[in-house]
Amino acid sequence: MSKIRITVLIIIALLIILCSLFLGPRVINPFGLSEVEKEIVFSIRLPRVVVAVLMGMALGAAGAVLQGVLRNPLADPYILGISSGASLTAALGLLSGFYSFGRFTLPLTAFIGASLVSLLVGAFGWKRGGLWPERLLLAGVGLSFLFHAILMLLMSVSTNEGLRRALLWIFGDLSMADWSLIPYGLVFIAAGLFIALLRAKALNALILGDEFTHSLGFSANRERLLLFVSMALMTAASVSLGGTIGFIGLLMPHIMRFVAGADSRALIPASALGGGAFLCLADLIGKSIFTPMEVPSGIVTAIIGSPYFLYLLRRRDVLSI
Amino acid sequence: MAEKQYSMEKLIILFLVLISHFDAYSALAGETPKRIISLAPSITETLFALGLGDNIVGVTNFCDFPEEAKKKPKIGGMSNPSLDAVVSLKPDIVVVTTDGNPREFEERLRSMKIRTFVFGSRRLKELPGGIRDLGVAMGVRERADKLAKEMETTLNSFNNSLRVTRDASLRKKVLFIIWPEPLIVAGPGTLIDDVIRLLDNENIASRAKATYPKYSIEEIIHQAPDVIIIGKGHADMKEASSSLLERLKSVPAVKNKNVCYVSDSLYRLGPRVAQGIEEFAGCLR
Amino acid sequence: MSSAYSAPVLELERVGFTYSPDKKIVDNLTFSAGNGEFIGLLGANGSGKSTILKLASGILKPSEGSITLWGKPLQSYRNKDRAKLLSYFPQLLDINVPFRVRDLVSMGLYPYDIPPRITADEAMEAVGLKEKAESYITNLSGGERRRAFIAMTLLQGAGLLLLDEPLANLDIKYQIELLRLLKELKDNKNISIIMALHDINIALRFEKVMLIKGGRILGIGKPVTVLSKEMLEEAFDVSIEIRRSETGGTYIGNEKNF
Repeated sequence: MSKIRITVLIIIALLIILCSLFLGPRVINPFGLSEVEKEIVFSIRLPRVVVAVLMGMALGAAGAVLQGVLRNPLADPYILGISSGASLTAALGLLSGFYSFGRFTLPLTAFIGASLVSLLVGAFGWKRGGLWPERLLLAGVGLSFLFHAILMLLMSVSTNEGLRRALLWIFGDLSMADWSLIPYGLVFIAAGLFIALLRAKALNALILGDEFTHSLGFSANRERLLLFVSMALMTAASVSLGGTIGFIGLLMPHIMRFVAGADSRALIPASALGGGAFLCLADLIGKSIFTPMEVPSGIVTAIIGSPYFLYLLRRRDVLSI
Repeated sequence: MAEKQYSMEKLIILFLVLISHFDAYSALAGETPKRIISLAPSITETLFALGLGDNIVGVTNFCDFPEEAKKKPKIGGMSNPSLDAVVSLKPDIVVVTTDGNPREFEERLRSMKIRTFVFGSRRLKELPGGIRDLGVAMGVRERADKLAKEMETTLNSFNNSLRVTRDASLRKKVLFIIWPEPLIVAGPGTLIDDVIRLLDNENIASRAKATYPKYSIEEIIHQAPDVIIIGKGHADMKEASSSLLERLKSVPAVKNKNVCYVSDSLYRLGPRVAQGIEEFAGCLR
Repeated sequence: MSSAYSAPVLELERVGFTYSPDKKIVDNLTFSAGNGEFIGLLGANGSGKSTILKLASGILKPSEGSITLWGKPLQSYRNKDRAKLLSYFPQLLDINVPFRVRDLVSMGLYPYDIPPRITADEAMEAVGLKEKAESYITNLSGGERRRAFIAMTLLQGAGLLLLDEPLANLDIKYQIELLRLLKELKDNKNISIIMALHDINIALRFEKVMLIKGGRILGIGKPVTVLSKEMLEEAFDVSIEIRRSETGGTYIGNEKNF
């Protein structure tokens, strides 16, 4: 039963990726590419699709991991303030005129911010030799509010027009995607995904509670730390690839529990696949709907995502909260 | 103390009213306000150009031209000026613009019996008239008339020379980039769009639905602009736009090295517009 | 049979546990569980039953004393190796993720690289949940949920089960079924069980009970000797009445009805 569903999911994902290459502001016939169209498909659309898939995968998988680690089905990688921390450091970097790494400056400052916030949240969440889910959640929400406030402060007192425009990037923008950033993003996302898949059994056990985790032969503290690192790596890499894209981390695990089952060994790869396809679709819609203008993908994911999420809430067999 | 100050002010006002009655000329021209607050960079520039720099007592945080403007007391941003700061500077008049200041702010000032002047010009062809109106309100009609005439001469010179000599095939496709990452360009209804039209060329972004749209890169490749003009920003624009231009390398403008970096003079509907038009004309030649 | 009892599976030696020096939660606790023993752990709320089970399972580390499993210090086992020998079953089963029953039960195999002989189907069969194998755990009743977790514990196949109030919130029918199942395991597979419970009348049917008060052992041995009126009154701080029926059964209750 779930095998059929997973096959359908893979086919849909591949179809969306193909559509993203040949649909868009203008439809391109794949069997008669002109020179201009070749360039658009291979150096504009393809890297953009790859970035969308990578970011979506990272967010979907990070959501599945975090919901398990925090034992909270409403958790989203952004709830821990990782994205607002990334936005803040990116904005500070722009304000101070820091541009030493050229086009890598913004992604790099965002990545540093995301990593620092992960460490900070981890430090706040640490007590008696382990991470405590409730502490993590509270620290994350608190820091998130603080970073938002500082960001708003910067926005309201700054006369730097460049900052305001660059903040568009922070609200989820894939338009600058090109091949140069992809290898770096890929390394971190692959590392995070690898750890998550390797520790998927432990994640299942953590969902049952620390005592069962112990009884089933895992160290709850060690596993939670590993999975937290995996989640932070994926989220940070995703934020620095294309800014803050909401809802995928929250939504995908919920949909995929229905499609692939709640077992993390299936849920993590399914959430990754679903997240990748979903962001790809959202980006396709965002760049096609008001052509030649573009709508940031983060806005599209939220607009599609929220009604579907509300629909899911009505299905008691999927959600039991 | 406050009471005393208040009566002092009353005296001064009475004095001024008396003078204006005796001096027929100044009554006709309108009294030149001693304390002016400008709520927009374009207005600040225009006021300085009209020789009213010394009368300006407050400007926005964004007013950075000419140099002296930076030394004036600040009253906040354009969209969020501080009512407190404006009132405490005791202005005779506050000049607001319909293009960037909140309407409620102007209403609030009027309800507090603070005189305002609303600068309503938003497009290039409205500018000379706008300058004349401002000049009348500021009691510098002659200077304003002179500035407006200069502007009209520039506009007409381009209009006439181009309309007569050029045929449609010489028309170039132009893209004006405001910020490269994410890509923001000048769309329809902007001063930049007006100038590109004035110079009888085509702004490829004029089909967009927003004035400053976030633009699609693949659309630029499709539309193949002949000239790309990049405006001044807070970063080194050559460096900031290098990766964008790398991706647009197949576009005629980049291939033929028709990429032009200009100042910010066309970001503001003020006295530097003529200079900006010259810059554009240079890029498009 | 007596040889089996000679090798203690679990030994606690002068074990103490405390969060702060002034209040000891477990104090100077010494006891051992032999192979195939079924021990009932009885005591009032807050007497330290749960803490003792958590110490014995290694979830909590003792502040003093030593705990050995099959003759080796408990802490010296690798997590996975310990999980093959010892299973802990917490009091609260709080789960909000819709695992299927089969997935949940299969988690019992996590400590193993090579699965043991019993299968998930057999484990579900044993607790009577075979026809619910594909249901979501979140859609089951409280009793069914508990049985699903028991099936997982069965599949884990450890020789020592530490169960914290597994009968709580179960209908009498399932209480009897579960006790029967545990007794079968003990008899057929020589599994040792230490189980916290609070129903004195069920404790009466155990071979061995341990009465706890304030983190200390009040008495340990056969129920007839340990569950005397005096001892129970001391342990539960309430007056107790013991009735014997004509058929020879015993019933313990409060002398005052309400």
